[in-house]
Amino acid sequence: MAAAGGLRRAGWRLWRGRAVLRCQLSPPQRALRTSAVLRRVSEEQKEPLASSSQQQFDSHPTDPRPEQEPQGPRPSYTGQGGQESEDYESEEQLQHRILTAALEFVPEHGWTAEAIAEGAKTLGLSVAAAGMFHSDGSELVLHFVSQCNTKLSELLEQEQKQVQLGEAEKKPTEQFLRDAVEARLRMLIPYIEKWPQALSILLLPHNIPASLNLLTSMIDDIWHYAGDQSTDFNWYTRRAVLTGVYNTTELVMMQDSSPDFEDTWRFLENRVADAVNMGNTANQVQSTGEAVVQGLMGAAVTIRNLAGLNQRR
Amino acid sequence: MEVAAAVAPTVRRWLGQCRPLGCEAGLRGTRPLPAGGVSLRLCSTRVTLEGINKPLIERIIRVDHAGEYGANRIYAGQMAVLGRSSVGPIIRQMWNQEKDHLKKFNELMVAYRVRPTVLLPFWNVAGFVLGAGSALLGKKGAMACTVAVEESISDHYNSQIRALMEDPEKYKDLLQLIKQFRDDEREHHDIGLEHDAEAAPAYSVLKIAIQLGCKAAIFLSERI
Repeated sequence: MAAAGGLRRAGWRLWRGRAVLRCQLSPPQRALRTSAVLRRVSEEQKEPLASSSQQQFDSHPTDPRPEQEPQGPRPSYTGQGGQESEDYESEEQLQHRILTAALEFVPEHGWTAEAIAEGAKTLGLSVAAAGMFHSDGSELVLHFVSQCNTKLSELLEQEQKQVQLGEAEKKPTEQFLRDAVEARLRMLIPYIEKWPQALSILLLPHNIPASLNLLTSMIDDIWHYAGDQSTDFNWYTRRAVLTGVYNTTELVMMQDSSPDFEDTWRFLENRVADAVNMGNTANQVQSTGEAVVQGLMGAAVTIRNLAGLNQRR
Repeated sequence: MEVAAAVAPTVRRWLGQCRPLGCEAGLRGTRPLPAGGVSLRLCSTRVTLEGINKPLIERIIRVDHAGEYGANRIYAGQMAVLGRSSVGPIIRQMWNQEKDHLKKFNELMVAYRVRPTVLLPFWNVAGFVLGAGSALLGKKGAMACTVAVEESISDHYNSQIRALMEDPEKYKDLLQLIKQFRDDEREHHDIGLEHDAEAAPAYSVLKIAIQLGCKAAIFLSERI
């Protein structure tokens, strides 16, 4: 009896401490440990259990409650992770929570492991939980950027809904682009002091694929909601131009000390106007070129007629 | 907002193809177009993107779009040379069908948010040169080029159909579309054969060379 009680207590202690344990063990060991704990719990409760998604432990019943664990424990920065299921959360969701909590310590500690450690502390976890992440704060920055992009998408989606319902007017493209970039850059304002550090972290070689991915998907989202339906090379030129506008405006914002970043928004307005002009000019050049070619063809045909060479064979 | 009002017309000209996007309902949910000159596409242009194999669909749409674009340019090149000859009307008819295919893939590209291949300007020129070049070999040369290209494209569509048949219910619309296009291309192929493609100068060499080029184009367009 005492042994069973002791086992139960040990089981629940392990259960609660699983978050800290997890960071020390490799994934298969982690799964083994978790399933062992759960098996103990289930033996005591003597319930029939559903099999989990971990194929290598097929013979062991693992979760006493229905779980919705997303496949793959690797955190992905191109999307936010799966849903939480009662008491059992995946590693990805846990990392997500820690990083979100860590964001409030960024103005003080910068984009570093210290901020992550502080964030873990507010969640009641050990400071060692920061060991789950790289020591250079990469994941924190990528998580923040990913979060901002998601917020921007939701904002644009809402605006689109309002336009469809007739509650708002459709903005002209130039203004739409300006507002979208401004909204996205405003999300940086609370962290503006430490943002140069974040930019340098994003440019680290091992972060470049992820950060490039985030940047391109954000720009694609903005153009998509702006109503871009190009299916030729314009697709690329538009996105390249907007990326340039966004990056330069971001850099200007770093050094802007005007009230509410007025200078930045004015810079943005000018750049977007330039971009629009550029497109306009490109169109004009193309139509001029076509007109010139037609003129030359006409001249050639006239000369051919005059020289009597225009015979149908 | 006078600035916006002044800029709007220039913006509209530049962003020629920009139209306001529609609702999120499935592709079949359309709303009636508003009356008036400008065709504001208020009908839905988005499909539900969950549950489908996004990378596979993206590749398929990208390469098919590039293929139809290239075919379009090939027929344009052939028309430029043989437009006023006896095969002119036939080539024009096949060209019109390719234009329809291209329009359909343009719509799909927007609906699935797929990026076009970077090599489009290259296929623009290469297609025209191929069409004009084969037409300069005579009517039979043009027909031989048609046969080679259409055979390549039908085989390519067939392998896509095979890939999509893994889950026919999920990809029903796309499958139906590709099957129909495959039948159209086969028809073009048969028309080419009817018009003495095989009698063209160096037919087998021409055919092999063109089909090799098509394979390379397909490989590149899927990835880049």
